[in-house]
Amino acid sequence: MDLTFSPSFVLPYLPALLRGLYMTLLLSILCISIGLVFGFAVGLMRNGTNRIAYACSTIFVEFFRGTPVLIQLFWIFFCLPVLLNVEIGPFVSATIALSLYMTALASEAFRSALLSIGSEQNDAVLALGLPRRVSLLHVILPQAFLRALPNLLSNSVTLFKESALVSAVGITDLMFQGEIISSATARPIEVLTTVAAMYFAVGFPLTQIVSLVERRVLRRMAI
Amino acid sequence: MVSGSRQIPAAPGPASSVADAGGAGSAGQSAEGEDRLPATQPFVEIRNLRKSYARGAIPVLKGVGDTMSKTDRLVILGPSGGGKSTLLRCVMGLETIDSGAITLDGRNYIECLSNGRTFVDRTVQRQVGMVFQHYTLFPHLTVLGNLILAPVKRNGEKKGAAIARAEALLSRFGLISKLKSYPSQLSGGQKQRVAIARALMLEPKLMLFDEVTSALDPELIAEVESMISELAEGGMPMMIVTHDMGFAKNIATKVLFCADGVVMESGDPETFFAAPKIKRTRDFLASILRGTKV
Repeated sequence: MDLTFSPSFVLPYLPALLRGLYMTLLLSILCISIGLVFGFAVGLMRNGTNRIAYACSTIFVEFFRGTPVLIQLFWIFFCLPVLLNVEIGPFVSATIALSLYMTALASEAFRSALLSIGSEQNDAVLALGLPRRVSLLHVILPQAFLRALPNLLSNSVTLFKESALVSAVGITDLMFQGEIISSATARPIEVLTTVAAMYFAVGFPLTQIVSLVERRVLRRMAI
Repeated sequence: MVSGSRQIPAAPGPASSVADAGGAGSAGQSAEGEDRLPATQPFVEIRNLRKSYARGAIPVLKGVGDTMSKTDRLVILGPSGGGKSTLLRCVMGLETIDSGAITLDGRNYIECLSNGRTFVDRTVQRQVGMVFQHYTLFPHLTVLGNLILAPVKRNGEKKGAAIARAEALLSRFGLISKLKSYPSQLSGGQKQRVAIARALMLEPKLMLFDEVTSALDPELIAEVESMISELAEGGMPMMIVTHDMGFAKNIATKVLFCADGVVMESGDPETFFAAPKIKRTRDFLASILRGTKV
């Protein structure tokens, strides 16, 4: 085994790695989007007065926050098809697992954001006679979203990184491609370093956006 | 300033609407209702209003009743915790009530039903506008966005028409330069004036002001009060809760002294400020003059 570090070695494998990155990004964006929508709904349930909704949502959130993502992924990939007696492909089960995980993370961000919206906003909504749908969509949701934005962005970075786990169920994401190429070529140093650099190249700007948003957008609106 | 439209109180004089603090207010109020001459239907009528928090454990309003006419500017005075703000919130329909009813223009729009639930007729309630002590502008919307949200999303008004109305209103009150500002970029006085403009966009028949200058720095109070005075001169009926006695004297056509959850005294401002009938009112006015809180 050649132990010299030669970065140029990975060049021929870059297209394959980029295809993996594409899959990673696709899966991340899909699951983050689904997670945000359901996360807002679960966040509302966690703050609401309906006890059944509160209990269900709390159990859901605590379960997904309190168990490893890998076991969630495996359970949905291996156990759920058997229980439901249907066939669920790797991509679908990975999407389900990561979406549920993102839902749990996002709902916590939304829950605390919703709590921090003062009761005076509710007074304003009632005094203006805004129907529930309008107040949710145009008053509560935008404010909750803006207040939750820093947390949601860091949740998204977390999900992007955790998505590497889906390689374990055979999704050809960046991690999967990296593992295959590194074991096939016996050049783990070059390949895995490149993979790490590619994750970092996406993740680092995202974390920078978090602080940018905190400084610019949120300050202007004093939220 | 505004004495031209001042009105002599209708049949139930101040004496009959003074409920005693002992809790016999409801008897006093029903008597008032029977005494009234049908010809002088009040613009707003509050009947035997009771309200408590914590399932009756903390009574806040213990049988409040009074009326105001369409030309009235009713100023509600009284010590903190006496139920002034709660009374105003009930008129706005923001609170559930334990008994009683409120009518606007002869229509019963808030009523405690026999099953204990609070009925609120939303179409009538929408004719009432309210501005609060705390800033209630939507922080994520510009001044314009705040003004047009309810007209467009609630009333289905065309966006262009709503914007035109908002611009006219903001020009009238000297706020047009703040059209695209966010609430955080405004002073406290400007925020309250925008909040008033936002309420006016819905063309209310009655405006409620709940201590709108209490959170303001002293130098910002005047601009808000002069905006309210301008509305008053335009003939807008209003109910005002305030601690500013000078403002109260200037704007009131009727004063209501509220303490311990009942209306202790109500009547025209001259009598109220010059010769209050009961000791509690005299003590209150004296303490305000001394600059201390009751």
